[in-house]
Amino acid sequence: MTRPRNIFLLAAAVVAASCGVAHAQFIGGRPLDVSLDGHRGDWLFDVTTLSVTLLFIIMVGIMLGAALLHRDKPGRKAHYETGIGRSHLVLTAVISSVIFFGVDGVLLVSSFNSLTEGFWKWPANDGKTVTVEVMAQQWGWNLRYPGKDGKFNTPDDILTWNDMPIPKDVPVMIKMMSKDVIHSFYLPNFRTKQDAVPGQVTQLWFQAVEKGEFEIGCAQHCGVNHYKMKGMLKVVEQADFNQWLETAGADAVRRYDAADTEAHWGWDWES
Amino acid sequence: MSEHAAAHDEAHGEHGDHDIHPEPTSFLRKYVFSTDHKVIAKQFIWLGLIFMFIGGSMAMMIRWQLANPGEPFPILGKQIFSNSGGIVSPAAYTSLFTMHGTIMIFYAITPIMIGGFGNFCIPLMIGARDMVFPKLNAFSFWMMFVSTIILVISFFVPMGAAGAGWTTYPTLSTTMGTPGVGQTLWVVAIYCAGASTLMGAVNYITTVIVLRAPGMGYFQMPLTVWGLWLTAILNALFIPVLAAGMILLFLDRVVGTHFFLAGTMVKGGGDPILYQHLFWIFGHPEVYILILPGWGVVSDLLSFFSRKPAYGYKVTALAMSAVCVLSAVVYGHHMFTTGLSPLLGQGFMVLTMIISVPAEIFFLNWLHTLWKGKIRLTVPMLFALGLVFVFGLGGLTGLYLATISTDLYLHDTYFVVGHFHLTMAAAVFLGSFASIYFWFPKMFGRMTNPLLGKLHFWFSFIPINLIFCGMLYVGFGGMQRRLYDPSVYATFKHLLPVNQFISTSAYVLGFGSIFFSINFFYSMFYGAKAPQNPWEVTTLEWTNTTSPPPHHNYDVIPTVLRGAHEFGNPEFMKATGKDWLGQAEELPAAGAKAADKETAE
Repeated sequence: MTRPRNIFLLAAAVVAASCGVAHAQFIGGRPLDVSLDGHRGDWLFDVTTLSVTLLFIIMVGIMLGAALLHRDKPGRKAHYETGIGRSHLVLTAVISSVIFFGVDGVLLVSSFNSLTEGFWKWPANDGKTVTVEVMAQQWGWNLRYPGKDGKFNTPDDILTWNDMPIPKDVPVMIKMMSKDVIHSFYLPNFRTKQDAVPGQVTQLWFQAVEKGEFEIGCAQHCGVNHYKMKGMLKVVEQADFNQWLETAGADAVRRYDAADTEAHWGWDWES
Repeated sequence: MSEHAAAHDEAHGEHGDHDIHPEPTSFLRKYVFSTDHKVIAKQFIWLGLIFMFIGGSMAMMIRWQLANPGEPFPILGKQIFSNSGGIVSPAAYTSLFTMHGTIMIFYAITPIMIGGFGNFCIPLMIGARDMVFPKLNAFSFWMMFVSTIILVISFFVPMGAAGAGWTTYPTLSTTMGTPGVGQTLWVVAIYCAGASTLMGAVNYITTVIVLRAPGMGYFQMPLTVWGLWLTAILNALFIPVLAAGMILLFLDRVVGTHFFLAGTMVKGGGDPILYQHLFWIFGHPEVYILILPGWGVVSDLLSFFSRKPAYGYKVTALAMSAVCVLSAVVYGHHMFTTGLSPLLGQGFMVLTMIISVPAEIFFLNWLHTLWKGKIRLTVPMLFALGLVFVFGLGGLTGLYLATISTDLYLHDTYFVVGHFHLTMAAAVFLGSFASIYFWFPKMFGRMTNPLLGKLHFWFSFIPINLIFCGMLYVGFGGMQRRLYDPSVYATFKHLLPVNQFISTSAYVLGFGSIFFSINFFYSMFYGAKAPQNPWEVTTLEWTNTTSPPPHHNYDVIPTVLRGAHEFGNPEFMKATGKDWLGQAEELPAAGAKAADKETAE
């Protein structure tokens, strides 16, 4: 009598542990969200977690219930049903429709909405949006700001290495490429990422709502030192950003070397 | 013997009992270059288990590095990582996770479930004497063997084994990112493994179509056969796509073509994303290729050990077929962050959600099969229930990755690693062992030890859940996959204890496999002699032939009278006094006709 009970205690412990892990998000664990739109993904994550946990508990409940209540004992008879009658089919169809429209459908529509309100709602290039070009390479990020003339690949471009100052509360639009292998520009604190692919331009936009320094990771395996490919996003006030543009822009013009073709990797956005 | 069966046997008499190759007498033909599907099955299973051990050991090294970054690997570290004083170096780490994935998918799961149980179960369960092309079958195994030789050699070439990940995305996987010979050998090995699988697939598909015993229609086949057959069809359709990708990659590496090369470093006119399309057109069906045999086995085992018919048998078979069809059109969700156009993104999102419907349907059927049964928690049943549990978890976590707005954050993090391990690693792992424990008596004629089997189950099931749920949590924390040392990021420093917990659970899982090894080897030689039908189930291999079966499987090809899940039918119980009725079993004369008619309607 005691042995099967122990087995079920163990099974119950596993279920509890799994649920605990599923719920741990409410305690913490996600990096701080400092973006305008990150909450959309976080919200959907939490909604998904709730529905998934509910479905999983029901599923495990039925399994455990059957294993506890309907064990093979002398005198027990299994209920004979083949499950191919019309009523069975209707039941299956109803339950799966409820799950499909009630869970999958809701998630799908929410995701569509959040994408059109956030990720796919590209900011207008109206002079207010900060534009940056990124050239990924093994193992770091080349960044290019257009400088005073607002045009890329001109002598007044500001070039940085793994260092990305941006102003707070302003949309930032980046277009990226890769020199060598596929990388992925990943901002954990902004809940977003975008692959940087050799030979084609991809784009990503985001907006910071808090000041501070946040890590830029590479999310796509890009070779032996993939783990070291890390940049730093520095969110500052607009005034401080303008000042940085001023001084760094002046430095850039002074340092410009027409013969250094390696540094002329930028491209014109309109072309 | 019934008249029907006798007539059938006579009809085959023209070719005689010799429509199968004669029993070989020499050791070499009997055990090495055999064309007997049962021997080839065992060869595949041996090969798979050896590589599961190797791939599992690699997982231990990966987990060691993540829990103890930069510390020398204990015990054998000095021998394995001799260049770096026992420390797993970054280069070794990339090779480890590349080869762990490659080995587990192509050289452990594929040989065990498809090569092994595909070979063993299909002819036996459909009442055939062998595969329809026995020589092609043997060639399939030896092709796989050649592939493993190439793979093993790749560890010992200059610059080491492949390191571009099991997905092997160019341009990293071209000579620009991984110049070593190891990566080229990897491409060749995968190509050969694909050729082997394709040969098997052709054989399985044809065998199921032409060699089913008289009376066995498609909807009398056990669901195991359905799963294996659908897997074979997917393999035949999509392995060639992978092969095309491998050929182009090979040409890029060796001949200097530019199919996948682009960027400012090399002025190639190619497109690295093209490879991802090719890879995932194969790669997403591959997930189902790996799990379908498991689904089939579980669908049968749940019915067998609940002593109930498989609820909605036909619906389950059709739902699994629907998954196969849909599996070809959802692959884009692997590429949500590559710069896919929003239109494509939306399309793949909807399709990905739709594929959950057939999966929900057979899940419901499984639960219905269990409910109100007379459940026997045998070792294979425990593993089958374990599969349902972890696949449920894995399937549900797929929802997070199917919607782009959550995938943007989770893509390429450990969340993905946890998710796909639950679906196609943990679930297939448990499915493999369910199959091994279930068919062991038929394969070797001896019973396994149930206590060791149960220990193996609990030492697998609990750590598996802790490991992969832990990974989900780490991914929820944002940590990317394939990071040699996550502590480089301040953002992920607080996840180190979780990583250590995962690693400890992984060591426990590794330890648990000792119970299996002892059980497997001891039972093979000293286990109790297995009766013909120890599980009291209905399929032909248990009801109509000995354990183990003779070379020609069946003295008389059975004539199938009903489906594979005739359990607990009150009429039959009255007539026979037992709660099951074999697929080819005649009812005692009295009252038989009425009952037979009733089920036929």
